[in-house]
Amino acid sequence: MIFVKRYLIPRLIAYFLVIWVGITVVFFIPRLTPNDPVMRMIGEMRARGANLEPGAMDGIISDLTEMYGLEGSWLDQYGAFWSRLVNGDFGVSFFQFPAPVNQLIGNALPWTLGLLLSTTAITWIIGNMVGGIAGYYTRRRWSRAMDAVAMVIRPLPYYIFAFALLLIFAYLVRWFPITGGASLGALPSFTWDYIRNVLWHSFLPAASLIVLGGTVTFQTMKLLVQNVNAESFVQYAKLGGVTEDRIVRKYIIRNAMLPQITGLALSFGQIFSGALITEIVFGYPGLGMLLYRAILNGDYNLIMGITILSIVGITTAILIVDLAYPLFDPRVRYV
Amino acid sequence: MAEKQQTILRTQNLQAFYVLEMQGAQKIVKAVNEVNLQVYENEIYGIAGESGCGKTTLLKTLFNEIAPPLRLIEGKLYYRINDAEVDVTGMSADEKRRLRMEYISYIPQGSMSVFNPVQRIRGTFQDFIGSHVSGKNREQVFELAHRRVLELGLPRNVLDTYPHQLSGGMRQRVTIALASVLNPRIMIGDEPTTALDVVVQRGVIQMLKEIQRSLKNTIIMVTHDMGVHANIADRIGIMYAGKIVEEGTTEQIFANPSHPYTQFLINSLPKFGDKSMRDSVPGSPPSLADVPKGCPFHPRCPHARDICRQQMPDLTRLNDDHKVACWLVGGQDG
Ligand SMILES: Nc1ncnc2c1ncn2[C@@H]1O[C@H](COP(=O)(O)OP(=O)(O)O)[C@@H](O)[C@H]1O
Ligand SMILES: [Mg+2]
Repeated sequence: MIFVKRYLIPRLIAYFLVIWVGITVVFFIPRLTPNDPVMRMIGEMRARGANLEPGAMDGIISDLTEMYGLEGSWLDQYGAFWSRLVNGDFGVSFFQFPAPVNQLIGNALPWTLGLLLSTTAITWIIGNMVGGIAGYYTRRRWSRAMDAVAMVIRPLPYYIFAFALLLIFAYLVRWFPITGGASLGALPSFTWDYIRNVLWHSFLPAASLIVLGGTVTFQTMKLLVQNVNAESFVQYAKLGGVTEDRIVRKYIIRNAMLPQITGLALSFGQIFSGALITEIVFGYPGLGMLLYRAILNGDYNLIMGITILSIVGITTAILIVDLAYPLFDPRVRYV
Repeated sequence: MAEKQQTILRTQNLQAFYVLEMQGAQKIVKAVNEVNLQVYENEIYGIAGESGCGKTTLLKTLFNEIAPPLRLIEGKLYYRINDAEVDVTGMSADEKRRLRMEYISYIPQGSMSVFNPVQRIRGTFQDFIGSHVSGKNREQVFELAHRRVLELGLPRNVLDTYPHQLSGGMRQRVTIALASVLNPRIMIGDEPTTALDVVVQRGVIQMLKEIQRSLKNTIIMVTHDMGVHANIADRIGIMYAGKIVEEGTTEQIFANPSHPYTQFLINSLPKFGDKSMRDSVPGSPPSLADVPKGCPFHPRCPHARDICRQQMPDLTRLNDDHKVACWLVGGQDG
């Protein structure tokens, strides 16, 4: 098939090439920084009051160096790194030693996925529905009022908005908890009590994401619908006496959705780096929080594990968009 | 054109302005200004004039598509429906919608973006026809659509193509097929030949004429190209600054152009065997937001007199069907 030879194979090659380059960059950048994790670890041990003799010190240094995969030249390290990576092994965390990176990511991932998959979907659905209706009835007063509200919310810096929510609803009126993904000591289980506990903890972080993200989606969709509505093919359909419901469904929404579908796929791809600021502000135990700690501690392996997940997530999302787009837009053909 | 013809569409002192709010100030664009038209059954009525003089707006108004910022300020618009003259300006949105395609249809410019880019031409036919015909009749109309497409020299598979796969000429033919498929009494075309090259243009003109002849309906067609009017129109209205300034049969307009503006339009046409540069109309048309007092053409008119700067002349009858609004030609006060 021409499609496979002329489009699919080159596209897949590009896909793997991008991932390879991304991971390679992620491998070398920490090694170019002056931060030496082994010496840092030793420093920490000393700070905790450990008394190390010079002989024992050398032993610890070589043990740590081996453990961290920092033995030999960069090229040796790079080779060892890939052979571990293809087996799905990201090595051990430097600072939550000896927990494997896989395990740390595995613990954090469900929190991030749970929060971000649901908020991304809710944001997208509500933002597009409300934005679409407001864009179609753009001359109505309520539509302009919504525009005005969006214009106030949109420029708020996210962390200030998030802190304000936290301050008001967790600190002042105490409707919601200040921090965490679930109450301390609550055992994960499929009981209504536990689920309610998780939902209660996730409410403020989710609300902060949905309100600000939804505003952006709302404004984008409103503008898209206004623009499509002014296109000649919509005007022509109106002049042809096509029924309003056909025009809205098959002409306006169908065309305005095209960029939004791409946007949704890309947002899903970005989930793997977590919602960094959200998780920090609300003390939410997801990947973003994990990444934040890893960066603070210079935890190479953990940083690499999360970053690689993120690189693969985003490139895969783009690949899917590229391959699926012709299904939505007949003007795009890959032959 | 001998015996008295039945009127199909009539306007009475039609005024449609764009009312724009700009930072508190109101701007009024007088795009259709006191237009009195009478269009007959079984004729092709051409409307000519430079770009920006209000032709598209006049067509929208005649099509009863008056939506903000365009507003009907005054006047009446009558269609002759089932032998009765109906004032259509007060119709509900749904009544207006029903008339379209069935009674009066619109031929847009067949530009790149005139059809929904994400559906096949067949889908557009189904939407347009399905919005007006239901049940068993729909099958018959689709049959007819197929036949019309073939009659108009379009390839059979045109219905299975996407709009971007068609040439400009093909898209234009599809719009004409679509406009004629429910056998409307009136078809309105806004520059349907303008974007096409000359050869394709000739084909499209021929096609419009044939459809008009077989349906015995009325075509109202706008183009700024007097050469096209000479080819297709039975009668022509010359528009300037939102007003009809001259009207007559095509022969009258070309043989005896009486408004200085009409003379300029005709003289700017290239003539066979004449290689000299053609004169274009001197100056540029006025902004319709700020129309000169008196005859709006006076700043560009080589024959302007005092009265032209003071008062707009009425449209007066020269003979039979030939009318002109100019102080030079028998225009009287008031
Ligand atoms: N949607 C609109 N809003 C405001 N002004 C308009 C609009 N459409 C057209 N106009 C103005 O109305 C005048 C007549 O335009 P139009 O009817 O398109 O002229 P033509 O078709 O003869 O070129 C122009 O001055 C134009 O700027
Ligand atoms: Mg126009």
